[in-house]
Amino acid sequence: MINFEEELKKFHPSLEVEDAEDAIYNQDMTDMADLVVKVVKESKELDEGTKE
Amino acid sequence: MVCYHCGCALSEHDFCTNCGVDVSIYKKVLRMSNNFYNEGLEKANVRDLSGAIQSLRQSLKFNKNNVEARNLLGLVYFETGEVVAALSEWVISKNLRPKKNIADDYIEVVQSNPTRLDTINKTIKKYNQALLYCHQDSKDLAIIQLKKVISLNPKYIRAHQLLALLYIDAENWELAERELLRCEQIDFGNTTTKRYLKEVAVMLHPEETEETKSPKKKKKKEKSEEIFRYQSGNEMIIQPVEVKEPKGVSFSAIFYLLIGIGIGVAMTVFLILPARIQAVRDNVSEQLKTISEQLAAKSATTNELQQQLDTVKREKNDLYSELENYVGTDGTIQTMENMLTAVNGYLQAPDDVEKVAEYLEGIRGEVTIEETSESFQAVYQSLLTAVGPRVAKTYYDAGMAAYKQEVYADAVKNLEKAYMYDAENIDVIYNLGNAYYKNEDFKNAAVYYQLVVDKFPGTERANRSANYVKEINQMP
Repeated sequence: MINFEEELKKFHPSLEVEDAEDAIYNQDMTDMADLVVKVVKESKELDEGTKE
Repeated sequence: MVCYHCGCALSEHDFCTNCGVDVSIYKKVLRMSNNFYNEGLEKANVRDLSGAIQSLRQSLKFNKNNVEARNLLGLVYFETGEVVAALSEWVISKNLRPKKNIADDYIEVVQSNPTRLDTINKTIKKYNQALLYCHQDSKDLAIIQLKKVISLNPKYIRAHQLLALLYIDAENWELAERELLRCEQIDFGNTTTKRYLKEVAVMLHPEETEETKSPKKKKKKEKSEEIFRYQSGNEMIIQPVEVKEPKGVSFSAIFYLLIGIGIGVAMTVFLILPARIQAVRDNVSEQLKTISEQLAAKSATTNELQQQLDTVKREKNDLYSELENYVGTDGTIQTMENMLTAVNGYLQAPDDVEKVAEYLEGIRGEVTIEETSESFQAVYQSLLTAVGPRVAKTYYDAGMAAYKQEVYADAVKNLEKAYMYDAENIDVIYNLGNAYYKNEDFKNAAVYYQLVVDKFPGTERANRSANYVKEINQMP
């Protein structure tokens, strides 16, 4: 049986057009490629550090 | 695909041919992103928009620069009514690739029409207001608001779902199902829609759900009653598959046909005909009623006219009888004849004033002089002036003779006539008062004494008359 109150909690207000700019700026743009690059760079730096 | 380190185009090798950086994992990550994009595209093609959104988001998590995935995500958002989210994706996409980007066209379509943009914003505001109403427990207001939202943006999935939830809460299952089916038409793979639909189906078709639970029963049922179902718009069409077509014309068919005709005839006789007869009767009685009303109205008019006729007849008879009184035996008017006789008598013997006076008195006895015509009155007055003083003298003398002989009744009679012909003679008026006094008619005596007082004030007789009036007034 559906609980109205519980279901209602799942509905959130929609973003209005005025709020679109904030939404764009606040979007987390970090992706898996960034992470991979970062990891590779860090591991490279670590390797260079141990060599020295 | 370019090298993340130097920006050079990558080859089939796992390292960059330009800078030598290991790009094996980086390449795998980008491939994963492309895989998710393909998956999202496939889902969007079969209208599994929720699934497509999920896949495309995954794709962007692997590679934020996957412009195709971002554009498609915006398009899918737009299709589900989430215009702001769509615009956000397209704007980011445009920033990532400013030239030769289809997102440019999408943004242009939305932003070129300010009215449309305003409508979109209003729709979102109304949806948010409806949600607020729901939280405030004003569900009726929320339903009204959501209906407006849907009329402005029929593809707004969240509005449809919220409206369906409100209908479910109000146990209005049919309407809830209608809204959810619309959601399903837009986004086939939405799990919330499916969950709500399942709930609604349990309430609307409990027996079918039972069958689903017990497959044995279902199989048995299907064997006995095989049906074919399909969805046409909002309607579920159920069509039996095994329908035996009759082969040839059998006696039973003819028999059933005859029975059918018989039932038809019986229905006509027992159901349709009485209704028709009743309708005709009603019509006839209505016409009769109208005619009766018209007849009654005409009778009333006839009675009124008859009464008017009777009145006119009565008036005519009265006038005839009145006229007869005026008309003599030879047909001329009697009064006029008397006047002519009086005039003739005066012209022939002007000194025979008694005869003329007799005619004049006759005329006065027949008509009221004031009611006669002006010319008649003029002739009468002329005659009266001509003979009046002499007639008055004759009557005065006769009256005084009777007075002296103490025959006061005769005296009154003659002096009255004298007064009639000469009303300005003080002797006539004073002696008439005396005659009445002697005849013991004090009331009339007082009238003539008062006339003397009024007409001839300051005279000896006026003083005497005043004394007499005083004396009469003091009488018991």
